[in-house]
Amino acid sequence: MIVELGHYALVLALVLALVGGTVPFFGALRGDERLMSVASTTAVAQFVFLALSFAALTYAYVASDFSVQNVAENSHSLKPLLYKVTGVWGNHEGSMLLWVLILALFGALVALFSENLPLKLKALVLSVQAWIGVAFLLFILVSSNPFLRLDPAPFEGRDLNPLLQDIGLAIHPPLLYLGYVGCSISFAFAIAALIDGRIDAAWARWVRPWTLTAWCFLTLGISMGSYWAYYELGWGGWWFWDPVENSSFMPWLAATALLHSAIVMEKREALKIWTILLAILTFSLSLLGTFLVRSGVLTSVHAFATDPTRGIFILIILCVFVGGAFALFATRAGTLSQGGLFAPISREGALVLNNLLLTAACATVLVGTLYPLALEALTGEKISVGAPFFDMTFGPMMVPLIIAVPFGPFLAWKRGDIVAAGQRLLFAFGAAMAAVIIGLALMGTPAALALFGVALAIWLMVGSLSEIAFRIKLGRASLGESWRRGAGLPRSAWGTAVAHFGLGVTVLGVVAATAWNSETIVTLKPGEVMSIGDRTLTMDGFVPLSASNYTGTGVRFTVREGGNVVATMEPEKRLYTVPNTPTTEAAIKTFGFSQLYVSLGDVSADGATVVRVYWKTLVTLIWLGTLVMTAGGVLSLSDRRLRVGAPKPSRRSVAVPAE
Amino acid sequence: MLLWIAMAVLTAAASLTVLIPLGRPARVQPAHAGAARSIYRDQLSELARDKERGLIGEGEAEAARIEISRRLLNSEAPDGDTRARPQPAYRLERLAAVIAIPLIAIAAYLYVGSPQFADRAATAARQTEPTAMGDIDELIARVEAHLAANPEDGRGWEILSPIYMRLGRFDDAVRAMGNTKRLLGSTAERESLYGEALTRASGNVVTEDARSAFEKALKFDPQEARARFYLALSLGQSGRKDEAIAAWTALIASAPADAQWLSAAEAELAQLKPTATVPETPATVAPGPTAADVAAAVGQTPAERQEMIEGMVAGLAARLETEPTDVEGWERLLRAYTVLGRPADAEAALERARAKLVEQPERLAVVEKAAKDIGIGKD
Amino acid sequence: MTRKQRRLTLISLAGVVLASAVGLVLFALSDGITFFTSPSDVLAKPPAPEQRVRLGGLVEQGSIVKEADGVVRFAVTDGKATVPARFVGILPDLFREGQGVVAEGKVDASGLFEADTVLAKHDETYMPKEVVEALKQSGEWRPEDAGQASQAVTQ
Repeated sequence: MIVELGHYALVLALVLALVGGTVPFFGALRGDERLMSVASTTAVAQFVFLALSFAALTYAYVASDFSVQNVAENSHSLKPLLYKVTGVWGNHEGSMLLWVLILALFGALVALFSENLPLKLKALVLSVQAWIGVAFLLFILVSSNPFLRLDPAPFEGRDLNPLLQDIGLAIHPPLLYLGYVGCSISFAFAIAALIDGRIDAAWARWVRPWTLTAWCFLTLGISMGSYWAYYELGWGGWWFWDPVENSSFMPWLAATALLHSAIVMEKREALKIWTILLAILTFSLSLLGTFLVRSGVLTSVHAFATDPTRGIFILIILCVFVGGAFALFATRAGTLSQGGLFAPISREGALVLNNLLLTAACATVLVGTLYPLALEALTGEKISVGAPFFDMTFGPMMVPLIIAVPFGPFLAWKRGDIVAAGQRLLFAFGAAMAAVIIGLALMGTPAALALFGVALAIWLMVGSLSEIAFRIKLGRASLGESWRRGAGLPRSAWGTAVAHFGLGVTVLGVVAATAWNSETIVTLKPGEVMSIGDRTLTMDGFVPLSASNYTGTGVRFTVREGGNVVATMEPEKRLYTVPNTPTTEAAIKTFGFSQLYVSLGDVSADGATVVRVYWKTLVTLIWLGTLVMTAGGVLSLSDRRLRVGAPKPSRRSVAVPAE
Repeated sequence: MLLWIAMAVLTAAASLTVLIPLGRPARVQPAHAGAARSIYRDQLSELARDKERGLIGEGEAEAARIEISRRLLNSEAPDGDTRARPQPAYRLERLAAVIAIPLIAIAAYLYVGSPQFADRAATAARQTEPTAMGDIDELIARVEAHLAANPEDGRGWEILSPIYMRLGRFDDAVRAMGNTKRLLGSTAERESLYGEALTRASGNVVTEDARSAFEKALKFDPQEARARFYLALSLGQSGRKDEAIAAWTALIASAPADAQWLSAAEAELAQLKPTATVPETPATVAPGPTAADVAAAVGQTPAERQEMIEGMVAGLAARLETEPTDVEGWERLLRAYTVLGRPADAEAALERARAKLVEQPERLAVVEKAAKDIGIGKD
Repeated sequence: MTRKQRRLTLISLAGVVLASAVGLVLFALSDGITFFTSPSDVLAKPPAPEQRVRLGGLVEQGSIVKEADGVVRFAVTDGKATVPARFVGILPDLFREGQGVVAEGKVDASGLFEADTVLAKHDETYMPKEVVEALKQSGEWRPEDAGQASQAVTQ
């Protein structure tokens, strides 16, 4: 009963999406306010029905109702409750349902929290959003329906890949989807602006919070996915340039560019066409990511199914939306009025450089991801484009970007003074140089390349903070005065500095973990000792493991530093019973920002065990940096002045003295 | 029926989301130009602040002020006229909302949905609706029906209990074993099986009830291995590590070399103290056949499970060929065939018992009496 | 600067960035990619010693030999040809004899494949796409073995 009701709610959501896509659209064209206001109610109702539908599927999973084919294939009555719930989106059909649920969530949020949005723009935005919903709801109902039933119902379910029974994997897809799908809002705004024919500072301000929200989620999602791969796959790697990773990274790069170009658009009404184009590109890349992952064009851990009809269906969706958007763009972009002028050396100029580098980097990733597919389709030749390609292309693009980032906030709008900006950044430059000199003295020339990376990271971190220090007159005024100025700075300024600082932290982590990563593979017997850096690991012995769905063997290690025990670690080899799958669980211990990583290989009969031990210098900074970046995004999002819609006069008179 | 009512409610709600805004008078909406203007005013005041703080020079500030003011003036152009037009009656739209939405939704649902499933609860589908394939569910259902009619048949409960255990339906196994004890009286084996069912039902934690059952079992037979196994486990679970190690060591020392639970016991012992040898892959908690195969059984297909049950019965039959003096075994076999719906096999087994026990009339008498109770061998 | 000059500066900046991106991509494509080969290909046309290749096939039955300190020797076969391989490190959980494997590395002068990466995916019935095609070509393909995984999800 509940399951069928969920199924019906899904159908109703499709019907409402159809209504929401057509009625307000014609209302907007005819200037009919009542027809336009249908957009909000249907958007909210669409979300409510999809939430019902999702809840029904979750119920089927929790109750282990194996008459639902999706549950029977992806769950098991003995599975822990948490993984029954996360199993809902641990498969193709359920994850697509989550996708449209989030799409509808964003639509409902726009409907509910955009009081200042003009009705026409709102109706157009929501109807574009509704059309995306129609496409994906049709896709679900026709080719990926999670509510299909089995009669007779099987007695037991077929479980979930044990590798997917993991809390990281439970959180990572929803975050990523919030990011991916969040990009649909800026897309919808862009299309609406093209149809409406007007785009100005207000438009940029309305889009900003949605882009920023999507960007925050995308950042978190990618970062979590990276950490998951790091600890779960047991190779100690944190980024593989895997096509699936790339397909989430490309929208991130484009969204980052969009965030920055929207600033220019708001302040100076320049880069209008470019901003619209970026908004379309960002969502197109999200759709492309969905296509690549869902169609099975790529074989990867993340690809749930290889079903050609699904692939073709998503390809059609991709072509219709991307093609339609670009066609609309081509015909309407010319009608948008040109904005303000600026000199090459200016805040605008810096942001243009940012955009150029980010989109060029994004394009190299796109080429690396699609080239093997295209080559195979055209010539049948099979190649793989791996890390070396991306190191050679993406890396060099990032260097000028990182060098340029601290300059941006110091340059004035319209016409900037690069010499003055350079003087204000002297301290950051000094700090970076100091790091290089100290590093060279300690490690010698072989470390030069790594030290260059470290210098970049420090330049970026100190440079971002310099801007704040300058604006609050740190050291040039009394501390109290600086504090007062700091508190008075808009939160978006703090957000910028924090996010740039976070990028620096991540860069530092990437450089250090790549350059000063030591890896040892040894065969140990119980009682034997190995050393890595200034620590030793003693293999104490085997520990048998058993849990409800697996058995296995752990190996206990004692870690000593200068003779003192500092930690014990227990990497495991597990054998899941249903299905019969072996997995390796690495053990990780954090020392400061660095980590010791131990993973097990084969165990021979006499107890000799192949052990792989890594020392990862400052590796946690990679993910901590992304958290800092996200915090910067949230800080900027919390800036009242830039929040949804324009501030009302009454509120403004209150807000001004506080700033 | 309930489903259709609920669906009707949902449909009505969907139609209302379209009808309500159509019937509501239009409110004054924020205009695009107004929003843009307030942003420009905002930018002007920000500019003034920046100038005050000395962030930008006098000349630049003036240029920026002029530019923003110009934009402000440009935006004064009126929005497209969206007000003061006679509102149509929306007859067509309303009709569509009331008729088209339900029609499309119901048609689409009937095409993809399976309303016939509506009234089957998940558990009901699994437990009380045996499928036509004659699989394990049907067999159990038959035994359950038999026991529903004769709830005082202790032997029936005793046969059913291990089957429940194998299928992972531990709560049912607890009930079945409890009935067995009540109807047939306590023995060491029954107490320890009861305790095991309790333990498995609570996720392999030896509860207070389970422990008292095991302790009772040991009163009947101090060497009862299953009870000792679980008591040792319970010591480990309650953190009394040294006692647990002692108990496991004693249990392992007294175990026959081919005991199936031996490796599990060794694994448990090993878990209490890290050892220098590679442990064999430990089973969960697995004394005797009852628990050892459960994990495997749950993952089997119905056909495989049935095979397993058939295997149990066949094993019993084979054993009785070599040990015909096991009167209770004969009785169990007859009963198993009967409840499994194989009366011909039951008759054949009775014939074999008669042949094997022809020298031992007193034993045969017991079997004959049991057969009479069960209702076979009338001729 | 005039409006025209400003625009020109911007366009040339964009041109420089684009050109360097294209240059980097072309350079990396000539150097940073690896070709997929099968054991038959390797024997018929051995790749140059500095050329990185991905070798896909089945791990030959009885070929795995484990030596000290994580050195593993095995052989990759496609039913027609067999290439001996050597790898140092921890093999994936699903690396087994008779199972599909993709190894990345270089072929040395003696014809030994020095693998630096060995991949076997996380599903017992999974087989890398390239391996399937290589095996199909050599007639070693048994669809009943590999079909199960996708069947299980899509039926």
